[in-house]
Amino acid sequence: MLRNYIKIAYKVFLRRKFFTFISLFAISFTLIVLMVAAAFLDHTFGPLAPETKQERSLGIYHLLFRGERAESNGPPGYGFLDRFARNLPNVEKESFFTEPGSVYSYKNGEKIHSYLKRTDGQFWEILEFNFLEGGPYTPDDEKNGNFVAVINEATRSKFFGGGPAVGQTLEADGQRFRVVGVVSNVPMFRITPFSDIWVPISTMKTTAYRSQMRGRFMALLLAKSSADFAQIKEEYKSRLSQVDFSREPEFTTAIGDAETFFEFVSRILSPRQDSSNPGSLLAVIIAFMILFMLLPTVNLININVSRIMERASEIGVRKAFGASSWTLVGQFVVENVLLTLAGGVIGFLGSYLVLEAFSQSGLIPYAEFHFNYRIFIYGLALALFFGLFSGVYPAWKMSRLNPIEALKGGVR
Amino acid sequence: MIKHLFKIVWNRKRANFLIIVEIFFSFLVLFSVAVFAVYYTDNYRRPLGYSYDNVWNIEIERDRGQTSVQTSNVDDGKTPPAAQGPNPTISQLFYALRGFDEIESVAGAGTVPYSHSTSSSGYELNGALVYFQVNRVTDSFKDLMRLELVEGRWFGKEDAGANYNPVVINQRLAREVFGGESPLGKKISPDTEFDGRPRSREDRVVGVITDFRKDGEYAGLGNYVFERNDIESSTGEVPNNIVIRVRPGTRAEFQERINNRLQAIAKDWSFEIEPLSDMRESFLRIYVAPIVAGGTVAAFLLIMVALGLTGVLWQNVTQRIREIGLRRAKGATAGKIYAQILGELMVIASFGLIAGVLVVVQFPLLDLIGFISKGVYVSSLVISLVLIYILTALCGLYPSRLATRIHPAEALHYE
Repeated sequence: MLRNYIKIAYKVFLRRKFFTFISLFAISFTLIVLMVAAAFLDHTFGPLAPETKQERSLGIYHLLFRGERAESNGPPGYGFLDRFARNLPNVEKESFFTEPGSVYSYKNGEKIHSYLKRTDGQFWEILEFNFLEGGPYTPDDEKNGNFVAVINEATRSKFFGGGPAVGQTLEADGQRFRVVGVVSNVPMFRITPFSDIWVPISTMKTTAYRSQMRGRFMALLLAKSSADFAQIKEEYKSRLSQVDFSREPEFTTAIGDAETFFEFVSRILSPRQDSSNPGSLLAVIIAFMILFMLLPTVNLININVSRIMERASEIGVRKAFGASSWTLVGQFVVENVLLTLAGGVIGFLGSYLVLEAFSQSGLIPYAEFHFNYRIFIYGLALALFFGLFSGVYPAWKMSRLNPIEALKGGVR
Repeated sequence: MIKHLFKIVWNRKRANFLIIVEIFFSFLVLFSVAVFAVYYTDNYRRPLGYSYDNVWNIEIERDRGQTSVQTSNVDDGKTPPAAQGPNPTISQLFYALRGFDEIESVAGAGTVPYSHSTSSSGYELNGALVYFQVNRVTDSFKDLMRLELVEGRWFGKEDAGANYNPVVINQRLAREVFGGESPLGKKISPDTEFDGRPRSREDRVVGVITDFRKDGEYAGLGNYVFERNDIESSTGEVPNNIVIRVRPGTRAEFQERINNRLQAIAKDWSFEIEPLSDMRESFLRIYVAPIVAGGTVAAFLLIMVALGLTGVLWQNVTQRIREIGLRRAKGATAGKIYAQILGELMVIASFGLIAGVLVVVQFPLLDLIGFISKGVYVSSLVISLVLIYILTALCGLYPSRLATRIHPAEALHYE
């Protein structure tokens, strides 16, 4: 039976090539856009290396001090983290590090721009970087203020022409570091691991950071398991109420959370930046996708309706020979799903090409968009959704055709 | 004629409904892209108020003690700078920079064009809440950036002993606060500090410049205030940026020499040297990239809709062969058939567009797009309407040509 449907579908598609083309174009284009968007989201939030332990990691990215008439928000300072984010319950390891900052180096009169991140030694124990050469610096390096650096592949080729770099030195921001390790490039959207050059925190030009409440630092907390998240969050929040504002009396409360990156983004987007609501951010993303899909869907339904009307006499014959409405609906939906799956294949190819182009273009440093099973399943689900949704209404309409009218070819 | 077309469309309302929905959504998509495109174009053609060629920026990063990362005190904006006295390091840096042959002039600034840092403030002035961006700059900033003074003077050494703070504002702010009157010599600060204490020194307008559009060509227009930063005096503060105007043709290699010299003077500070033209390029990309991405997606959506519509209309025409044949037999010319098919299409499109306009009209009513001026809003509305009409007409051309080719004898023979 199904084989017959497929055969008929194939013939129908070939007969009206223009319609088939429009449908395929619509489906594949929509899938390309949605899958590229999904790849971006996955690239930003998904558990990609080196953040392989993401499912049991929390971060402290943001701190909000609020008073009656003043507000200050931004990343916390080292002093704050040292005082409030150490030894939280059920946290296996914690790491403090700065946001990546721009630094410039000069080599033979040429300026090289890189991002530099200052981290502690634990950073390398929580995150699993892929070392191409050498290894990480240790907590001892950090303690002793050794001027050592881990660099990424791109920086190695900029400074050392791609040759071995371990043991050599490079200058950045007026300081000279000895390279101890080289890692694969990390995409820029991954703000926790991302940088070009990583150096110990203690190589900062002054030691003022040690007492700062606000600054450019973030914390990464590795919990024993994700089940401990609630307890960690609770303890961190209760510690926030102990923040002493006697030196900055314009503020009265500290607001923050130990959170996942997605929770953090949803907090930043919330109107007062004080409550994270990942559910509603997810809802907004899904709503946008549905809104975007509306137009292609209406378009497909439209084309499908036209297509059926054209086949009115065929349907009349089938009906006259006893085919039930359900059989016909089934046949049409199968046809439509076949078409959408074909569009899906084109869509996969197209989004692969678009993502490759993005990766190659260097618009987003070190972005490497790869298809993974998450995106694949998502795309497949979208294609099926399309096929079913855009097929059901026309099929229902078709099943209500009056066979006599249909045989005469007169359809209103 | 039009009434007749309405009747035909109405009689086929079930079949036409989906087309109307499609046009409705297409209009919304097109409008949202058009609004931004028109808004940016409108901004782009307005004067910048400065020149960025051959200007380099040196951003200073230093440890500023316990300062906040982003503070926003809407009530007052500026917490008074802690009295710190002249900073010897900054004076040395200025001195060193002036010593280079390649550098024509040097100035200090709180923020520079095409940088991501903004300092804004707002308070009640003459009964109305006024918002503006503030920039504390040194005396040479005006000539270095080639700001265009339209009234009064720029601040300078003569203001050193004054009992007021001299400020220079842009024309827009002058108009907003003082209307038609000349703002020169007028006070432009609230009476009290944000904590209620009376303000010790008032800000007084000494000059008006055309504009200073810090965020570049695409950004919206805003109010701007320049305050005087005298780095040699006790009220002076270390600027976040030093801008230099270099001789035309100075090569990028020079940056290394500057950096080495500055780094030797201020070991604890970090410097980012970048020509404004480079900063501009990456800064404007932030504006352009979303609209290019959005525009591409919208264009593909519209192409898709256009193809779909052509298909549907084509199908409609083949269904109506008999009707059209009859008209031809009764003497209707090819032109009349064209007019009917396209006319019907325009009526259908109008239904979708009316629904679309009804939705779009809610935006200004609900104050969803407050930053967009009436002119921009109306012109993008008109552009979207016209484009959709043209697009639907184009989709109808081929199908209606098919319709005119129908031979009456064949058509009436149909079945």
